Amino acid sequence: MTDTRTTAAHGGAIGLHGIKKWFGNFQAVDNVSLDIRSNEFFTLLGPSGCGKTTLLRMIAGFELPTEGQVLLDGVDISRLLPNQRPVNTVFQNYALFPHLTVAENIGFGLKMLGKSKSEIDSVVKDMLKLVHLDGRGNNPVTQLSGGQQQRVALARALAPRPKVLLLDEPLSALDLKLRKSMQMELKRLQLETGITFVFVTHDQEEALTMSDRIAVMSTGTVRQVGSPWDIYDRPAERFVADFIGETNFLEVDVLSVSGNKARVRLSSGSEIPATFPGDVTPSGKVTIVVRPEHARVTAPAAGSVLRGTVHDIVYLGTDTHLHIRLDDGSGFMVRQQNARSGDCGFSKGDSVGIDFSDDVAQILRD
Amino acid sequence: MSGAQEAALAAQKQDIRSRWLLSAPALLIIFVAAIGPLFVMLFYSFMVKGDYGDVKFGEFSLEGWTSVFFERDIFDDTLGLADAHLSIIWRSIQLSFFTTILTVILGFPTAYFIATRPPHTREIWVFLVTIPFWTNLLIRTFAMQQVIRNEGLLNTALLWLGVIKSPLQIIYTDTANLLGMTYVYLPLMVLPLYASIEKLDFRLVEAGYDLYATRFQVLRRIVIPLVKPGIIAGSILVFIPSLGAYVIPRVLGGGKNMMLGNLIEMQFGSGRNWPLGAAMSITLMILVTAALIIYVRNASRGGNGHV
Repeated sequence: MTDTRTTAAHGGAIGLHGIKKWFGNFQAVDNVSLDIRSNEFFTLLGPSGCGKTTLLRMIAGFELPTEGQVLLDGVDISRLLPNQRPVNTVFQNYALFPHLTVAENIGFGLKMLGKSKSEIDSVVKDMLKLVHLDGRGNNPVTQLSGGQQQRVALARALAPRPKVLLLDEPLSALDLKLRKSMQMELKRLQLETGITFVFVTHDQEEALTMSDRIAVMSTGTVRQVGSPWDIYDRPAERFVADFIGETNFLEVDVLSVSGNKARVRLSSGSEIPATFPGDVTPSGKVTIVVRPEHARVTAPAAGSVLRGTVHDIVYLGTDTHLHIRLDDGSGFMVRQQNARSGDCGFSKGDSVGIDFSDDVAQILRD
Repeated sequence: MSGAQEAALAAQKQDIRSRWLLSAPALLIIFVAAIGPLFVMLFYSFMVKGDYGDVKFGEFSLEGWTSVFFERDIFDDTLGLADAHLSIIWRSIQLSFFTTILTVILGFPTAYFIATRPPHTREIWVFLVTIPFWTNLLIRTFAMQQVIRNEGLLNTALLWLGVIKSPLQIIYTDTANLLGMTYVYLPLMVLPLYASIEKLDFRLVEAGYDLYATRFQVLRRIVIPLVKPGIIAGSILVFIPSLGAYVIPRVLGGGKNMMLGNLIEMQFGSGRNWPLGAAMSITLMILVTAALIIYVRNASRGGNGHV
């Protein structure tokens, strides 16, 4: 494992500058600029067709950008062929070579690089250990389970010690339990090898669990880049807030602005502080988001931020979702953790008040 | 109890009888059309030849079989190797081998090209490949003759262009046989190759490039091993009819460049030696079977990537 520590310094930084990609008349990627840092676990998150896979394929070299540059550690690699880039890919359906054994699959990249047989053998052995497949080297890959194939695909892509590892929805073919354990596994591998990981997924939970930073994409553009915390708690626009997790949108009036905080008035007449993204100064009517777990349902009181009646109660084991019909007619959802056994303390038709935890409202850039 | 057993037994018998009845047409075709004639051939090969063709029934002789490889000296009746027969057999094997190689070399890029077209245009290309099958083999062979004969298309064009001073003697050579067979049997190579290249997962090709393989390495390490079944099927489909080719060497090869098919035909025709013809036919069959066994064995041995 001393070897992996020396490579830890070599995780490559990727720079995407003004990338545009057209397929005929269809624009898949529209003017994307991103900086992916060395040794980072970076996720491209978005619904299918948002351009995230196209972006990944341009880093790998399978597609050439119509416009813009791909930089690796500051060097333009936009026009290099895939086999000239020190970047490897874990494909969505693994794309293991069915005519080769596990060891031959893992050693393929090194063999193509012209490494000696003894070097290939020793790296393959290390890789098998790294992905917990010791002793499976001579098995045909076709006899492995989905999770094992996944690990072979990972080992195959890691074996040549790329500067950047690209992962194209690698977990989507696995069942839930396996997916969870592979998420941990991937995170561990990224930390152990120090290789920069660029991960593509449409699964927001997966993105939040594993990433150092996330870029949320939609219709070929990057909507927001930030840490999982940023993306979840401080969504900059409606698409991001809506795509990641469940959320409540409220129409409010801006009263005053100071620093990156504003005072806003809700439809109920209550006034609360709200945070806004740095690049806008809110005024007039704006939308704020409040996450369901950042609100509390209480008995109705004069000081309640919002008031309404309980419309529906959904029990989910760990949580209970309370759907409230607000006095202005709109809906609001509160997620309440089931700290104790039994009912949640409210029943359908109850008049209730809603309070927010401090500093949870976020103004969206519209 | 025993009544029920009897009934069950009777039903079982009935079942077996109806199964035989149902498969009777298929069995009839197999015995009458496939195995029957083979036994006739085997039987004839052990007869004494008739003076004007046919055989003398009831007179057994091994003469037909010995004459496949040996010939009797006219003066002292001693057996010597039948050089003419052996050289024709050897030529047939060689030509069929090279035809197979040539069709692979020409067929692979063709099939690859078709398989990588968009799905709706692939059908058009496959259709174009099969068009020659609509024409009679004899006519296609004569068409080839028109192209390569001394005053034919190829020579006229080359003379006009000044590439050559006098016409190339292609027709009535082994080259003519090779060209003819390659032309005629090429679709038989392209179609199975296309079928297996079309099934190739091109993400594996991408994975190859991603793992630093060059184009040639991707072809050698990934594409060829994966489409091997297609190469084997195509080679079998080309090699077998090539070995027994009759029309093509007759029209393009002339009298000097006979192949096994022509030699067999001669025994039943002007040679009036049906036992020899029958023995040669069976020899051809044995050759084909042997080639098949060797080929399939080699192919499956190399099939798991340990080249």
